[in-house]
Amino acid sequence: MKDWIPFVAAPAALASTAVPGFANTYLTVEQAQQAIFPGSVVTPFRITLTPDQQKNIEFRSGVRVRSRELKVWKVSGGGWFIVDEVLGKHEYITYALGLNAGGTVKQIEILDYRETYGYEVREATWRQQFVGKTIQAPLKLDGDIRNISGATLSSRHITEGVKRLLATYEVALR
Amino acid sequence: MKSPCDEFSRARPLLGTIVEITARSSHQPDAEQAINRAFAAIAVVQRRMSFHDRNSMLSRVNAEAFARPISVDEKTFQVLGMARDLYVLSNGVFDPTIAPYLEHTGFLPRFFGKAAGKRISFADVELLQGSRVRFRHAGMRLDLGGIAKGFAVDEAIAALRTAGIESALVNAGGDLRAFGRHLFPVEIRHPVRPERPLAVLPIGNQAVATSAHYFADRLRLGARTGPFVHPGFGQLRGDLTSVTVIAPNAMLADALTKIVMLDPGQSPALLQRLSAAALIFDSKGSVLCTPNWHETLKAAA
Repeated sequence: MKDWIPFVAAPAALASTAVPGFANTYLTVEQAQQAIFPGSVVTPFRITLTPDQQKNIEFRSGVRVRSRELKVWKVSGGGWFIVDEVLGKHEYITYALGLNAGGTVKQIEILDYRETYGYEVREATWRQQFVGKTIQAPLKLDGDIRNISGATLSSRHITEGVKRLLATYEVALR
Repeated sequence: MKSPCDEFSRARPLLGTIVEITARSSHQPDAEQAINRAFAAIAVVQRRMSFHDRNSMLSRVNAEAFARPISVDEKTFQVLGMARDLYVLSNGVFDPTIAPYLEHTGFLPRFFGKAAGKRISFADVELLQGSRVRFRHAGMRLDLGGIAKGFAVDEAIAALRTAGIESALVNAGGDLRAFGRHLFPVEIRHPVRPERPLAVLPIGNQAVATSAHYFADRLRLGARTGPFVHPGFGQLRGDLTSVTVIAPNAMLADALTKIVMLDPGQSPALLQRLSAAALIFDSKGSVLCTPNWHETLKAAA
């Protein structure tokens, strides 16, 4: 290990302050609708899942349904636009799923996410806004590099969310 | 007069992580179109080189390249060529043929049959004329996980450049690359105290990658292990908790983090030769860097 020298941070880096968490917004709901279905008209589609539908969706997808209230829009010319949230121990992600008329995935766009970590998570009052559990390693985010907009989020929760929404389509929208 | 640049960022789940693309442009539709093309370029790499996708080009190679030479697309062949160069330059430390070991330890899915019993290395992979690949032994397979993510970032950067974007940043879960005159701030976090960034690097025309242990840690027989396999020892190892590499492109940065993780003693010379530098956290908590760290960072800013 003779060719390694101690790392001394530049003065500017030493001056930087603590970053308790990170949040970034990419798209509003309206912007995401235009990004996924350009030029289409979308109409809110009011729907609340029945307990039976909820069970059926959980059975089909293997993913827990946290809320029976859905945020769904019907797209002119066929297709669906759904806004969903996934929660992890270290992250909170809102994303939009565009479905083609036949129920296949057209596009996924992340609307916004927040991340945080470490002991802050144990603070009950703080945690309330990020309630949720993850099967992932608790230190998953640590030691990673990110630019100011972050990069350490696993896509696993989104993959599960999409699975749940595809089952939701089969059970409640189709 | 030139109008000022705005920054446009989008994020999508790809490559098993969240990929974020930021483009600076004075014209929003141009930026959005360029970003869409860059995401499409990443999706192409994922479809071709993912070990996790049974239908990828790589999975076809893994399933059939012993039986007959398999023709692959130009990009996959390019990545395999780079993997071979790094295999040679690192004296065999960088070796994508360790895939069966990662299957055995649960880091990769078991799609294929029995692994070869004997010791296999990348020297047993033949790269033939006409972008064809052949395995010398049955039960061999390749995992491009140590290099393909970086390559995907490079492909996205190329797409943004072709689309006429002036400055951009592509960040695939810590494998990132920027281009253009703008300097993007990139934080390096302390592995044990992530709430406090260790340093903020101004990244211009450069790539940065980090490999850290706990990313894919598995508890196995009571010991923590990361998915880093030294081919010479045939075991998961890594005395370092985290490695960060700056390099001219993301493919190189991605692959070099693995080489440094496995062979920290020999890697400073190789890094220097490839115009790259590294920053490491060892298991005792010391932060070390190669002597060329600061100059490498400055050179490409």
